[in-house]
Amino acid sequence: MHREIEPGFYWIQECGPHREGIAEAVRGRGGTWCPPGRELHVPQNAYLLRGERSLLFDTLSPEGGELIIEELDRILAGASLDYLVVSHPDVPHAGNTARILRQYPEAQLVAPGEGDTHALYHLDQALKVVPGDELDLGGPIVRFHEATFLDAALHVWMTEERTRTLFPVDWLGFPHLDGECLRFVDELDVDIGIERLTEFHSRVLFWFQYVDVDKTRAEVEHLARKYRPSRIAPAHGLVIRNDIEHYFELMKDVVSRVAESGRVGVL
Amino acid sequence: MADPRRTDSAAVAETGMTVRLTEDVEWISECYPVGDRHLHVSLYLIRCPGGNIVVDSGSFYHRESIESRLTAATRGQGIQALILSHSDYPHSGNIPSFRREWGDFEIVASCADAGVQGLPYARRSRIGETLEVLGREFTFLDPPLADRSHTTWVYDRESRVMFVADGFGNYHETGTCRLTSSELAEEDRALGIRDFHAGALKWLRYVDPPKLSGQLRRLLEEHPVSFVAPIHGNPIAAANLERYLSMLEASVQEIADGYVVAEQSDRQSEESR
Repeated sequence: MHREIEPGFYWIQECGPHREGIAEAVRGRGGTWCPPGRELHVPQNAYLLRGERSLLFDTLSPEGGELIIEELDRILAGASLDYLVVSHPDVPHAGNTARILRQYPEAQLVAPGEGDTHALYHLDQALKVVPGDELDLGGPIVRFHEATFLDAALHVWMTEERTRTLFPVDWLGFPHLDGECLRFVDELDVDIGIERLTEFHSRVLFWFQYVDVDKTRAEVEHLARKYRPSRIAPAHGLVIRNDIEHYFELMKDVVSRVAESGRVGVL
Repeated sequence: MADPRRTDSAAVAETGMTVRLTEDVEWISECYPVGDRHLHVSLYLIRCPGGNIVVDSGSFYHRESIESRLTAATRGQGIQALILSHSDYPHSGNIPSFRREWGDFEIVASCADAGVQGLPYARRSRIGETLEVLGREFTFLDPPLADRSHTTWVYDRESRVMFVADGFGNYHETGTCRLTSSELAEEDRALGIRDFHAGALKWLRYVDPPKLSGQLRRLLEEHPVSFVAPIHGNPIAAANLERYLSMLEASVQEIADGYVVAEQSDRQSEESR
């Protein structure tokens, strides 16, 4: 499944199976955003940017192996893939790296440059990027950034400068329901509230339960000022196009909630 | 009659294949060079009457050495079960190879969706529960020091070894690769402990140290250990645990104090003007 967000900017989504366990847990805690009978998805997203050169950001999970190849073949239609960026070597993000490189052997693998254990992830031959590095795709220009909120040490965030899109990987994700797949948040009939965001972050960034809340909230404020994005393209949620400041505010409250209530499970 | 496991374990440990921690738990120490220091990327072997269990699989970087050691240590029997702390490649990278070598042995792994983690054949473990693996009981713990969502620490109720995945690590000097805490000069370890945690668990820069420390100590109180067994550090014997914890707590405090959020820094500057 893919959607062209705008010319040359593609969103490829692997929704995976209905996460009944999470849905039941939400309802068990009195959550109303996932009514009985609805499917709950925690997606994996990959993003393809095309200018004179093309770049794929993340690879989906091993279960999405056929999907990512089919979608790439469909979108690229015989053209080359020039860069394959792995945000971090976590299975649901990097699980199809070898498969994509077999299909598109000319693609340059791009990996986070910080850290010193690349060989443990088969990333020692990758082009390593550090915060501030840019790739000009002949149209889109991507810039790499420190991954502020993360679940692995080798990690990089990215922005696309022309559209001011922030790719915050595991941050600002949230589950969606059947019928919401590949829809922009502003196209939904409901708001993505703090409950959905907390459900996700209390599982994925479970370490929020141990943080200094003021300091971490201040970091969210800093990110809002630093990036001032027009669009958020998360790895595990829907693309946000409007009212971005509102979501940064919600994310401050997510930190407070997880710190107060702890984690609700794993992902 | 002597316990055959004990004899076998002692003999193997003497050959250097493994380092024995308890009667039936052994450390398979592997190292990866980082500058002029080393980082452990290890795994553990548990010998029980029902068969051989490994905790984590080590990295594919050390595949040949690990398979050779496991084959020798088990006298060709291989492994009959594997407990995975989490699916990060340096922990899980040899599972496909082990399966080719030793067949469809049982794999127990924590994750909400095994397929997404690339482990469709795994039995799921859940934080807080106790499972029997080859007749031995393991409790799966919520890890205060971890990064991946689905990481669990694994407490072997029989040996009282706590396997702590990415927690309790340290960089170490060459020449100390196969030493446990009781053989190490603890004073020399502080820097390696701090550098490891600062690099591996970057979120510690936001941590409230007493919160983390309280949770760690609670967990250890509730689960008394003979050894704390990290994948990325030298195993820590119970007798040396308090000393390690002191160094860890000092490291965490230093990491947290060493990071000031730009927004807070800006605000403090404005206030001081």
